[in-house]
Amino acid sequence: MASRGSQYQWSARGFIAPGVILVAVLLYLPLLWTTFLSFTEYNGLGDPDWIGLGNFAEMFEDPGFIGSLLNTLLWVVGTLLIPVGIGLALALLTWNLPGGVWLRVPFLIPYALSGIGVGLIWSFILSSNGALDQALGAFGITETPRWLVDAPLNTVVMIIAAAWQGVGVNALLFTIGLNSIPKEPLEAARVDGATGGRLFTSILWPMLRPLTAVVVGLSIVASLKTFDIVLSMTKGGPGRVSETLALTMYKETFVNSDYGLGSAIAVFLTIVTMIAAILYLREQLSKKHEI
Amino acid sequence: MSRILRTTVLIVFGVIWLLPVYLLLVNAAKSPLTFTSTTSWVPTDFSLFGNMAEALQLSGLGDSVLSTLLYALVSPAIAVLVGAAAGFAIVALRLKHGFAWFVVIFGGTVFPLQMVLLPLFDGYSRVGLFDTQFGMILIYTAISIPFSAFVMRNFFTGVAHNVFEAAVLDGATTWRIFIRLYLPMASSALVAIFILQATFVWNDLLLGLTLSQSDDVRPIVTTLAGMQSTYGGAQLSTVLAAGVLVSLPTVVLFLFTQKFFARGLALGQY
Repeated sequence: MASRGSQYQWSARGFIAPGVILVAVLLYLPLLWTTFLSFTEYNGLGDPDWIGLGNFAEMFEDPGFIGSLLNTLLWVVGTLLIPVGIGLALALLTWNLPGGVWLRVPFLIPYALSGIGVGLIWSFILSSNGALDQALGAFGITETPRWLVDAPLNTVVMIIAAAWQGVGVNALLFTIGLNSIPKEPLEAARVDGATGGRLFTSILWPMLRPLTAVVVGLSIVASLKTFDIVLSMTKGGPGRVSETLALTMYKETFVNSDYGLGSAIAVFLTIVTMIAAILYLREQLSKKHEI
Repeated sequence: MSRILRTTVLIVFGVIWLLPVYLLLVNAAKSPLTFTSTTSWVPTDFSLFGNMAEALQLSGLGDSVLSTLLYALVSPAIAVLVGAAAGFAIVALRLKHGFAWFVVIFGGTVFPLQMVLLPLFDGYSRVGLFDTQFGMILIYTAISIPFSAFVMRNFFTGVAHNVFEAAVLDGATTWRIFIRLYLPMASSALVAIFILQATFVWNDLLLGLTLSQSDDVRPIVTTLAGMQSTYGGAQLSTVLAAGVLVSLPTVVLFLFTQKFFARGLALGQY
């Protein structure tokens, strides 16, 4: 058996090589270069100058960066509460419901839109005297806030726009989870008279825990990278008040040509994402052991 | 909760959820002549197709559509095959340290895209790949490989190894076994990955923003972002029509493949 296994080693290397080479050259090499640049002062001309942790120190002294960091945290929290919560509620509502597949469609449409598409629609709705203000005006509310101008309201409304987009896929994931719950304990619980809230807290929620960890993990990682919607709706402004880390990185790098600082922000964002991802993987692995 | 109550709640929320889409369509359909930003809720006329035609002329959106179609078809197709080959090497051919190699490939997707943007921009500029269709296809392919390898490795793990052994006894080469046996077997997973990655490529903004600039290379969403910040006022309905045009393919694809897609996702989980 061992000799048969090793018989195909050259062939196996050939099959895996294209994937490894493409990923190594186009993803890992740039990754290493960014990590190196984060310790340097560099604007694309001449050679990078090593300045150690200088960029990281500069980062945390910059109120714009701190604001961007806080906005990103707001995005993480908001994206956890709204799309994950509503997604779960939707999955429960459509579960075992005749026509549930069709009733889910309205929530899935926004998911297929691009971030810029979502931003375009919501900028239109939220512009001053836009669709929302007109609707509120019809109810006699004329004193409306400047949705996309006042901070932190502008970040909150952008989180709602992102939630509008993201709910459907979470509902879909939770539905897959609900459908994979074994029938026996459910039937047993029903026979014992558990319905509604009891059924949810005693059976469904514990059984959905591993999947919830996945959905939450994906949401955290995705929200940390928030870029498209903010670029589309406020460009991080007015000033820098609605920037997220991903946008700050982009601006420092490609607008201000501060390659070192931009790289340092990218590294910082990566470390934060890694910590989130590791926590999420740990949950995943412990789930495997239970089964 | 009773069925009727659940259905009612879902319909009410569904309608609320569709309001932004309604607003997009109604206002994208207004001709620039009748468009005002103060009566957004009321439809006036139906010039959607005229506006779309107009939009295709603006900012070279027409060129972007063609190149994005190219990226969204070619890159995921290559990535699916490369990912399947990796999964095949690890599972069927029992590559030594296969799991470590899998982690190497899958690790390519763990960090944020921000980590690779600048070196890609820098490197692409140096080797002449900046602002080329080939360069865009290359990076979209590389980005799509980790997820593809992830799903395909999981998929092939579910295939009994004696399928492979039987084919070997029949005298088939590994290449033949891969092409004739394993790929056809995995067609549903391959299509699911393809759809997901094609949607990702179609909706990409960041790589387009960083690695392209001319009309015939720049992907469609990047062009739309540019239009949004360039045109306003009466031309807003044209920009909204561009938004509809850009969004239509992914929405249609996604709705038609919803069930299939859910199954593909379920496959990817285990």
